[in-house]
Amino acid sequence: MAEGSKGQAFLDRFAEVSARIGNQIHLRTLRDAFATIMPLYILAGLAVLVSQVVMPMVLTGDALTSAQVWGAAISLGTLNFAAIILAGVLGYCFAVNKRFENAIACVVVGISAFVIMMPQTIVATVGNAVYATSASDKTAATVSYAVDSFAGSLNMPDGYALTGVDATGAFAATNTGANGLFGAIIIALLAATLFIKLSSLDKLKVNLGEGVPPAVADSFNVMIPMLLTLAVFGLGAAVLAALGTDLLTLIATGIAAPLKGLMNAGPWAVIVIYTFANLLFCLGIHQSTISGVLAEPILTMLIIDNMATFASGQPVPQDHYMNMQIINSFALIGGSGCTLALLLDTFLFSKSKSSKEVAKLAILPGLFNINEPVIYGYPVVFNLPLMIPFVLVPDLLIAATYGLTCAGLIAPCVVQVPWTTPPVLSALLATAGDWRAGVWQVIEIAGAMAIYLPFIKVSERAARKQMELGEKGSKAADVHTLDKTSKGSVKAA
Amino acid sequence: MNILLACNAGMSTSLLVQKMRQEAEAQGLDATIEAKPLNKALESVADFDILMLGPQISYAKAEAEQFADGKPVLVIPMSDYGRMNAKGIIAEAVAALEA
Repeated sequence: MAEGSKGQAFLDRFAEVSARIGNQIHLRTLRDAFATIMPLYILAGLAVLVSQVVMPMVLTGDALTSAQVWGAAISLGTLNFAAIILAGVLGYCFAVNKRFENAIACVVVGISAFVIMMPQTIVATVGNAVYATSASDKTAATVSYAVDSFAGSLNMPDGYALTGVDATGAFAATNTGANGLFGAIIIALLAATLFIKLSSLDKLKVNLGEGVPPAVADSFNVMIPMLLTLAVFGLGAAVLAALGTDLLTLIATGIAAPLKGLMNAGPWAVIVIYTFANLLFCLGIHQSTISGVLAEPILTMLIIDNMATFASGQPVPQDHYMNMQIINSFALIGGSGCTLALLLDTFLFSKSKSSKEVAKLAILPGLFNINEPVIYGYPVVFNLPLMIPFVLVPDLLIAATYGLTCAGLIAPCVVQVPWTTPPVLSALLATAGDWRAGVWQVIEIAGAMAIYLPFIKVSERAARKQMELGEKGSKAADVHTLDKTSKGSVKAA
Repeated sequence: MNILLACNAGMSTSLLVQKMRQEAEAQGLDATIEAKPLNKALESVADFDILMLGPQISYAKAEAEQFADGKPVLVIPMSDYGRMNAKGIIAEAVAALEA
């Protein structure tokens, strides 16, 4: 008994801490922002699929190259610009969550501060040297030579090769795109926080007198906080430049890279996070309260990296095998806890009428990975026998799928697909059409069904016993519920 | 009567919203019922009379109440939510609005 209450105390504490994480404004903003720009990544994924998988099937040669510009153009505006867009969306979501009225000003501050922290000189890869007949008109007839052909005339020391040139007046796609995402998160949130704080100070408000229209006064009121905020970030950029670095590089190498590495140092970090996340859902609170904060941003960055890699025709490196798609396509089939298996078991083997009713209600949304009806209706919440496979099955599937990817038996995920994509289709899309991944997903469902089955039996036996024991008490409960609904419908009518 | 439902991504409440609309029509209630993800719901709560949260985001109740400006904010009970008990949930909304 004492042990039971200790366990209960732990679960209560766990739910409380998770709720606090779920309510933390910066973390909530991060989740909201990623949810807002998700369609952009989905589009990028589709464009990459079409131009890298479909087009080569029907086109060849120059026609293929020309057609693939379509996919490359979409990549440029989505994957290669994701960090800038995220910086703006973060500013907006933060303003809304802070109930700060001037949300659009936060968008401006978020984007601007992020770009301010970018390196002013980038190293560009060397292509061809372009000559025009007139220096002022770059579109005039031009000739281009491979830089290699005259690299000798650049007076390079012996033993060195020309690999890139310093360029100013340019943004590197690595900073504006996938690699800059972590920087965008930190900088935009810092900037918006500072901006809103400064905006609340009365001393910084410009008093223009009585006759000035309120809208004019408002525009002046955000001006000084905006100037101050961006000036601070400019100062930061200057200091870091003097030290020979920049914030984006520091964040990418000091924070993002180690976190991506942690997620890919075997499946363990991801398994630990999703163990807690799925356990949380067993207590009735949505799993993304934990996973959406601790795992999803990094895992999403990894799949965005992969989309960009795949779009450029390169193989995905092994340190990117663990990513968001392993979770969404292969570990949470039918929703958190992989409950599609639970539903299929119920149809095939269950004798409980009420379980079957819930399964009927839940199967269609379940195919699209929406499973609140199962979690609350079956129920899984606070139902110990079912909580065990609900937590265990996704962990096993994460480990197995990651293992199979590393062993080369299924292709790594290279496309982000909507999390509502039904099984088999989602595996095929995520791996850019690897049929083995589709087969693996079917095997996963069968395996998950086998694991769930004994726990379903135990759960049903426990429910029957409880009903027999509670026969006396249940009468009172029935009266109570009847009373409640009838009172409600009388009022409603 | 304008009822706003909110959940994590606006997916599972969109299941419920259809059933609630049918139920409201069957009861002859003049009700507008919509479902949104939590962050969108917080933005538009001013246009509704009551905000009902899915149990999976029960932790957001206190936060939602700040946005709701005195309008009732309810957490839908887990069993009603799981079984998509539209009748019971509408009854709760009506009771809260008349309280």
